[in-house]
Amino acid sequence: MSVNANNQNGEVAEDIIICRGLNKWFGNFQALKDVNTTIKQGERVVIVGPSGSGKSTFIRTINRLEEHQSGDIIVDGIELTEDVHNIDAIRSEVGMVFQQFNLFPHLSVIDNITLAPIKVRKWPRHQAEETARELLERVGIEEQAEKYPNELSGGQQQRVAIARALAMQPRIMLFDEPTSALDPEMINEVLDVMRELAYSGMTMLIVTHEIGFAREVADRIIMFDEGRIVEENTADEFFDNPKSERTKLFLSQIL
Amino acid sequence: MTANAAPAPDHMPPPRSEVGVIGWLSKNLFSGWFNTILTLISGAGIALALIFGLIWVFRDAEWGVIAQLGGRFIIGQYNTDLACPGNNCFWRPQASLMLVVALLGMVWGMTRDDVARNVALAVGIAAAAFAFLPYGFDKMGIDVRLLLLANLPALAIGWALARYTPLGTGMRVSIAGVVIFILTLLLLRGVSWLPGMQPVSVIYWGGLMINLILAVAGITLSLPIGIALALGRRSRLPVVKILCVGFIEIFRGVPLITLLFMSQVLIPLVFPENFPLNSLARAGIIITLFSAAYMAENIRGGLQALHPGQAEAARALGLAGWQTILFISLPQAIRNVIPAIVGQFIGLFKDTSLVYIIAMLDIVETGRTFILGNPEFLANAREMFVFLAVVFWIFTYGMSYISGRIEDKMGVGRR
Repeated sequence: MSVNANNQNGEVAEDIIICRGLNKWFGNFQALKDVNTTIKQGERVVIVGPSGSGKSTFIRTINRLEEHQSGDIIVDGIELTEDVHNIDAIRSEVGMVFQQFNLFPHLSVIDNITLAPIKVRKWPRHQAEETARELLERVGIEEQAEKYPNELSGGQQQRVAIARALAMQPRIMLFDEPTSALDPEMINEVLDVMRELAYSGMTMLIVTHEIGFAREVADRIIMFDEGRIVEENTADEFFDNPKSERTKLFLSQIL
Repeated sequence: MTANAAPAPDHMPPPRSEVGVIGWLSKNLFSGWFNTILTLISGAGIALALIFGLIWVFRDAEWGVIAQLGGRFIIGQYNTDLACPGNNCFWRPQASLMLVVALLGMVWGMTRDDVARNVALAVGIAAAAFAFLPYGFDKMGIDVRLLLLANLPALAIGWALARYTPLGTGMRVSIAGVVIFILTLLLLRGVSWLPGMQPVSVIYWGGLMINLILAVAGITLSLPIGIALALGRRSRLPVVKILCVGFIEIFRGVPLITLLFMSQVLIPLVFPENFPLNSLARAGIIITLFSAAYMAENIRGGLQALHPGQAEAARALGLAGWQTILFISLPQAIRNVIPAIVGQFIGLFKDTSLVYIIAMLDIVETGRTFILGNPEFLANAREMFVFLAVVFWIFTYGMSYISGRIEDKMGVGRR
């Protein structure tokens, strides 16, 4: 993994995601309302908010799983437009981990991980498999390589999903409620992997309800409500000294 | 440590009503007076049918009619004086069979899979076993018998070719399959400039041979065409979508018999005059397209059952749209609808006997016309149709067997 540690070294980090005036509708329903934010390379941003507040929609627009109707999104210097080449270029730079894992059930764990590097990056199979095994070791399940997804526990599946996203060597990782579908005793094994990833300098956007985790790893917290960003703050400030009334209400409900 | 007083055992045997023959019987057949009566009545019915059926098969039935027709069931009028003046064409269908057996051997040698092995051995041994039919040598010569026996070495050669030469890859065996199919047709059809290979018009082709040719062509072509139609129907391009929907609805909406009739008058309109398209090819095209329309809907059902997260995950990894379809959506969709697809194949195989409507003597029609033309066998129609039913059942059961084993291997329903 390339480690972009310049943020921690105190150097000036480049802006890797820029959102300006982002609006998104599902039919008549406006899911995102004038969202503006900038994320720097190596930054760990946790996104919180009540259900239906647009937080998942927001991170799904960043790799264009959802189309935005107005505003600009610039990822790693590439603007997201209708242009298919731009979209494919961004998608291979941005890894995504889903709430429901979305592993491919007809492929073994190792094939799940090597598929994209072989088909998109055109790596030779042996190189892709070597990388895949290193990643499986990194997420702590190297012995499960030949199994099929349904033979693994939820926590193991989510760790495979993280390894699969990392296999494309992305510069940014998006996590869409990665622990929400897990049994309680499996949440920590996934958070441990994410924690390790966070300290390796990866740029991460995480939608989560794990407040303890958020507080521990986040450089910044973004609070969504009704499609808007209502508060954006450092983790300590956000939890200890929230500015907006909506944040205070939200924190009082979940803490 | 304090002593545990009478620890509960880790594992207790199930109650008697849950296990054993008695338990199964009382639970499934004799639970309550109503079920007991039903069991007794249906048991008696099955027993009677079995007894009378067996008495008929082994005592009353006269199977001579089957022996009388013999090879006509397999190749129809192919080797008659009419079709092949000089009467020396018997080896051509046999050579075709040998090629097919060799191909099955190649599939076995390549996959080293027990299903492929069972199918290859069953076909090869059955073909060779025909050499020992108790006909006199005047009816079934030693040359015919030797060629039938040669299926066994053909199987071995095919197996060895795939096992020990570079021919044994999936791609090459598939190509060999296509080549062998075309070669088979050429061999049967003949060419005018080659001695010993005089052309045999398809109107004399008949018997199981044309059922199998139509079924193999239909099965191998209707699947890819059906996939293309299913994808086209889900396309976002309106023109593609309308064309595919139109094709599917038209071919599903018209009975196959009607289509076969129309093929005799309509398909020639599409091709230039004098285009060498015979009635067999026309029937093949119609059966393939008809089956493809149903296949498209089966596949579409499989595609719609997929969780949208699968395609999202693939796209999020940077796979292009066509790669997502090819590597993620289609394999899962097809896996999920294997039972429907195989049902479609079985239906297609049985429907091939409808070509009698355009004057082709398939195996059923061969038997029927023989009885109609030979009144002394009129009383044996029962034997004839029972035999035909068994022949069809053997092939369709073979298809079910293969699909069931493929499902097992792919873990369908388990992962």
